[in-house]
Amino acid sequence: MSWLLNLYETYESNLDLVGEIETRANDQEFTLLPISHTTQNAHIEVTVSENGEFHSASVIDKKDASTLIPCTEKSASRAGKVISPYPLHDKLVYVAGDFTAYAGSGNEAESFAHYIKQLGDWANSSYATWKVRSIYNYLKKGCLIQDLIKERILFVDTDKRLIEKWDKKYESLYPEKPFIFSVLAGGQESAFVRFNVRARDIEKDVWDDQEMYKSWIDYYQNLLGDEDICFVTGNRQPSTDKHANKIRNAADKAKLISANDSSGFTYRGRFNASHDAASISYEVSQKAHNALKWLINRQGKIIDLRVFLIWGNDDLNVPDPTEDTFAIGPAPTEVAAKRSFTNREYAQEVYKLMDGYKSNLSSKPKINILVLDSATTGRMAVLYYRNMDKEIYLEKLKDWHTSCAWLHRYRKNREGDFVQFYGAPATKDIAFAAYGPRANEKIVKGLMERMLPCIVDGANIPQDIVKSAFHRASNPVSMEKWEWEKTLSITCALINKTLKTRKEEFGLALNTENDDRDYLFGRLLAVADVLERRALGDETRATNAIRYMNSFSMHPERTWMTIQRSLQPYQARLGTKATYLTKIMDEIASKFKVEDFNNRSLSGKYLLGFYSQRHELYQKKENNNDANEASGEE
Amino acid sequence: MRNAIEFEVYGNYALFTDPLTKLGGEKLSYQVPTYQAIKGIVESIYWKPTLIMIVDEIRVMNAIRMESKGIRPIEYGGGNTLANYTYLKDVRYQVRAHFEFNLNRPDLAHDRNEHKHHNILKRSLKAGGRRDIFLGARECQGYVEPCEFGSGDGFYDGYGEIHLGNMVHGINYPDETGRDQMEVRLWIPKMKDGYIKFDRPEDCPQVRVISEMKPKHFDENNVESVDDLFAQMEGGEAL
Repeated sequence: MSWLLNLYETYESNLDLVGEIETRANDQEFTLLPISHTTQNAHIEVTVSENGEFHSASVIDKKDASTLIPCTEKSASRAGKVISPYPLHDKLVYVAGDFTAYAGSGNEAESFAHYIKQLGDWANSSYATWKVRSIYNYLKKGCLIQDLIKERILFVDTDKRLIEKWDKKYESLYPEKPFIFSVLAGGQESAFVRFNVRARDIEKDVWDDQEMYKSWIDYYQNLLGDEDICFVTGNRQPSTDKHANKIRNAADKAKLISANDSSGFTYRGRFNASHDAASISYEVSQKAHNALKWLINRQGKIIDLRVFLIWGNDDLNVPDPTEDTFAIGPAPTEVAAKRSFTNREYAQEVYKLMDGYKSNLSSKPKINILVLDSATTGRMAVLYYRNMDKEIYLEKLKDWHTSCAWLHRYRKNREGDFVQFYGAPATKDIAFAAYGPRANEKIVKGLMERMLPCIVDGANIPQDIVKSAFHRASNPVSMEKWEWEKTLSITCALINKTLKTRKEEFGLALNTENDDRDYLFGRLLAVADVLERRALGDETRATNAIRYMNSFSMHPERTWMTIQRSLQPYQARLGTKATYLTKIMDEIASKFKVEDFNNRSLSGKYLLGFYSQRHELYQKKENNNDANEASGEE
Repeated sequence: MRNAIEFEVYGNYALFTDPLTKLGGEKLSYQVPTYQAIKGIVESIYWKPTLIMIVDEIRVMNAIRMESKGIRPIEYGGGNTLANYTYLKDVRYQVRAHFEFNLNRPDLAHDRNEHKHHNILKRSLKAGGRRDIFLGARECQGYVEPCEFGSGDGFYDGYGEIHLGNMVHGINYPDETGRDQMEVRLWIPKMKDGYIKFDRPEDCPQVRVISEMKPKHFDENNVESVDDLFAQMEGGEAL
């Protein structure tokens, strides 16, 4: 199904959340907006009585300023000098009938005229609620600023003009700096006013009242333009050519559907006007965009302004393909890593994990994956869109997490300690493994987009990514130890996944039978590393094996000679303690076919051999000796 | 089926632009080809104003995947702008289509030799089409090969139904409808196990009139009939 239709349906199935305010991790509020509504920061709140008399007013604290206001198509996209008032709450220049008496250059009377006519039409219609009528009855008197000055909300200078900017010279008039100047960025005349009605009982605030939303939506529905076929739903509905911006954040000008591009070769040729090429209904445009904004706030991931969004049509929460196994379900992967490393057991754990998501399959189990970004400030494009069956999606995710798995130690648990986990790395970490931790955000987001098909379709991982990670992992001296370890385990996961597609998979558990040349070279390097590390004791400097790793990967035979030569003093120092390791080394070396022991550069498999052998040796140690010692060495 | 051909069309990229993303110029492909895109491919294989090509059914062989690219489209006023186009990647479709005579063209009645047209069509297909093939947009080169419709393994075998939502079916031109206007047809397709059975153009539920348009005129003076061509080739020294 098309992405717009899916967003529209998401809106329809979450109607009970419309207007409900939720908070993000960083305390920012967001909400699923009703159609024909938007949000604005208000500065002044004016309360009127039921019969349209001024009751009270206050300056709104910044925390509480965000207000849900009704809007028209035109007012939602007003800019510059265009006169286009919001229907109810708006700036002083629109809502105050006595604005010209206190501020401005005298040409602003027209704004109020437009505003009050629009409000009057709504208040006198059959859709209006008593609250609208009360506010209209008060505002048509045109004495708002006068009342606000009386209430000591706004302040005038000696000429009875609104003070534009607070200055010390006004201290003779007002000894303390009025609060209004600390909430406003500009002058007092730019204040945004919201209205409330005082009622007999405890009533909902005007901007928080479902009845008010409904009243405006129903009224506005009648004012919409001509009906046309909606390309999204196929129904005949009033269409619009104005679509939402501010999709990623409040300052985002980019539109997904822009309609005024007549200067490019976009639709022109067969069609004369944008309306000829396609039409979309007002309702669908509003609902789909509102749902999209809400979803991005709720669960979207934004990297350098590229949005990655995954949601289910009915059950919004689904596992994110860009996350690692640890983030999707930390407990099972940790347990699995501790107990055993056989792939079958691990696969079972992942199965259980996915079953948790599968258990609440609803009637229309669909998953949507959407990636958005903009090339220019004005327009935004859908870079990736997939709509797939939830069951298949979970199956693919399971495949990914079992086939691209390796043992990692870079994640922290809730207590902040590093933990081992067996599983697939997150796409973001793959980017850092391939391009380094200071990789440009543009590159990170590009890689994340390219990895998506590998995860959700099981496509092969692009070779350039694997190669790049391989070269970085082979060069440990270029980075700090923790970073190299992270790069190494992620690279192993990628290489293992690549081999798996060629049915050549190597497990994490050491395979002593394998006589693949690259694998054996990797094992040799690991033993050399462990031997020297043991001899070094408390010294933390890098071993020769690590320092020569890069050249080892390119000329294994020659470099091995160097490494072995430099190992001798350590073997001597360890004495009989080195016997075990030396024996392993001999064993590995004996497995080589003579013609294989040469200088041909190594493939990624050697990293797997290295990792598995090293892991095996530390495991052994842990079982034989004191566990503390082992962890200290690692 | 009478007058039918079956073929496979494939390419590295395809762009069946969703018209909603066309307005601003950040093009995004539909997930499956439109009827009109496939019809265009059939017409690239062989076409004459005498014929109307009808696409019966397609089968989506590969998984639907997308890839975006940065593009520098040209502006009318000169210069470039920047845009992201999102293409379908690595596509392969099996198509079953046939031709019918265009009864809105009585002026070409002399050219209605069914058997000959069918054989030309089949030979053209074997040669890879008379004109070059592209998948939705000019930059997405495609290739055609005869095949047996429904043969081979497809990604969506046994997948079940996928509802694709409301989509453009194609464009009605005056020479095929007999009405002097250009219209856009919309429909709501369903893909079952990878197969999409197309409604016939005249059965599409929604038709949107775009603008007035007149058909191009053809007659004996600017179209050569197959019979004439045949006589010429048999009679001349060309063969």
